[in-house]
Order: sequence, then C-alpha cells, then structure tokens
Amino acid sequence: MDEDIQKLRDDYINLEFDEVSFDLDGERMAMYGKCCGEQDPRFTDPSHEDFQAPPTFVSTLVGGRHLPKDMPVPAGVGMDAGKYVEWMAPIRAGHSLIGKSHIHDIYTKTGRSGRMIFFVTRMELFDGDQHVANADTRTVFREKPSA
Amino acid sequence: MPDSTPRTVNVLSDVEFGEELPSFEPDVSLDNVKLHGKFVGWGTGRFTDHEQAKKEGFPGAIVPGVMSQGFLGAMIHRWAPTATITAIDTIFRAPVMVDQPHRITGVVTDIDEEAGTVEIDISITNEKEETRVFGTATAKLPK
Repeated sequence: MDEDIQKLRDDYINLEFDEVSFDLDGERMAMYGKCCGEQDPRFTDPSHEDFQAPPTFVSTLVGGRHLPKDMPVPAGVGMDAGKYVEWMAPIRAGHSLIGKSHIHDIYTKTGRSGRMIFFVTRMELFDGDQHVANADTRTVFREKPSA
Repeated sequence: MPDSTPRTVNVLSDVEFGEELPSFEPDVSLDNVKLHGKFVGWGTGRFTDHEQAKKEGFPGAIVPGVMSQGFLGAMIHRWAPTATITAIDTIFRAPVMVDQPHRITGVVTDIDEEAGTVEIDISITNEKEETRVFGTATAKLPK
C-alpha cells in the first residue's frame, strides 16, 4: 500500500461526513423504472398495491457531498467509475429516507497511464429506524505520470 | 411454430447454472435519456445534447451510469419476475453512448440452494462488442 493512500485510509475511512434527507416521490420512482425498461407494475405504477422503487433507484439519490470537504484529492475532475447497491427492504413512495455518507474504501490501480485512485463513498439509507439500502459510488482520479 | 416468448423463471429450481438471461434492447435514445433527465436527474448537456458532450471531450452524449445500472436490473426482473435483487455492482469501464445500439447480457454463474440466491454476471456491450459496463448481481428467488 502506498504511504499516501494508507494515510488517507487511516484519516478518513468510516468517517461520516454528510447527512441528507430524501422525500420519495412516486412519479420520479416510476419514471426511473419506465426509462430503464422495467415492465412490472410494482416498479412502474404508483397505484399498484406493492409499488416500490427498483433496487437501483437508490443510486439516483445524491448526497450534499461526494467526498469529505477537507480531504486532499488529486487535481482534476473525479469520474464516476461505478455503483454498487445493497438492497435490504423496499423503498416506498411518500416515505422520507435519511442518507448518511462515509468513505468506505480507498485503493489504487496502476496502469500504463499512471496511478488511478479510487474513492468508494457509501451512503447508508434509513427509513425511520430501518436500514433499507446501501448505495456506493466509486469515484476515480487519474494521476498524470511524473515527467 | 416455435414459442418466441422470452423464458422466465419463478422459483430457484427453475434456474439453470450457466443459463443466459433473455435480453432486451435498452432504450438509449436521446428522447429517453432526456425523459430520464427531466423526471429523475442527470439532465445536463453531456447526457442530453451531443454537441455539448463533444465540447466536454466525449464523442457524443452519454447515458447516465444510473440508467445503465437500471437496464441491467430490469433485465433480471423480466427474466425472474418474483426475484428480489439484493445486490448489484456495476463498473463503468467506458461510456455508453446515446443513440447507439447496445446489448445487455446476463449469465447465471452460481446457484446457492441454501440461501435461495443466484449470482449473475452482467454487462453492456456496444455494436463493436466492446464492454462498456460490467458487474455482478445477486437475486433471491422463492424456493
């Protein structure tokens, strides 16, 4: 493990840095399902008795910040390198979710174009006291090789 | 006449190891991405305007990653209407381009009889058969 990455891990992993509230709108949930090709009315029809968001909907919930305010990151724009969803319970229209974000992992990959640093931000989503999902976003910064 | 209805599974014992999920052509048209942008988000120029995307260094407008992940989830639900997707991991290897045909695929790589779950390798490829998005999903089915 590179020394600078180990320091970032020591300083920031598991540190909660953001908390936001989401009011869940049934029309938005249904439109996401339809645009993505869902056909089951439980994902596309807000009047269905078991209407719920497709599990991947939680990836659309964006917190106030992707990374801690004071965390040093490489120069340049971070790119969205991937998303992971862990589903635990249905996401229901009309409910409010609380999203709490922390850095879940920091790691690197090195290729011909230099080192890439990946930050995994995990948003834990709660409906009242119930933990309903985790939504991870991987952000990658590509370092330029030194001349 | 052969049955052209895509195969579906309802219980775990219906699932065959190594089976390929029936695919569908994801709607990556500019109109659909704009609709998503209007109601869900990701409605900025790089997603909804080819010229703006080119100014930002892309070959054209790109499909939001959240939509790509949603296409793959929908494929699993169409194949297994009773399934609950408990985990889905998608790696965005390269942009999925708006208005260009793409193919989504899923292959069952593991069946856990005790847990009642299946593991599925998932991907999105373009016409040149280049992988743009890949990952894995776990779905729970009734036993």
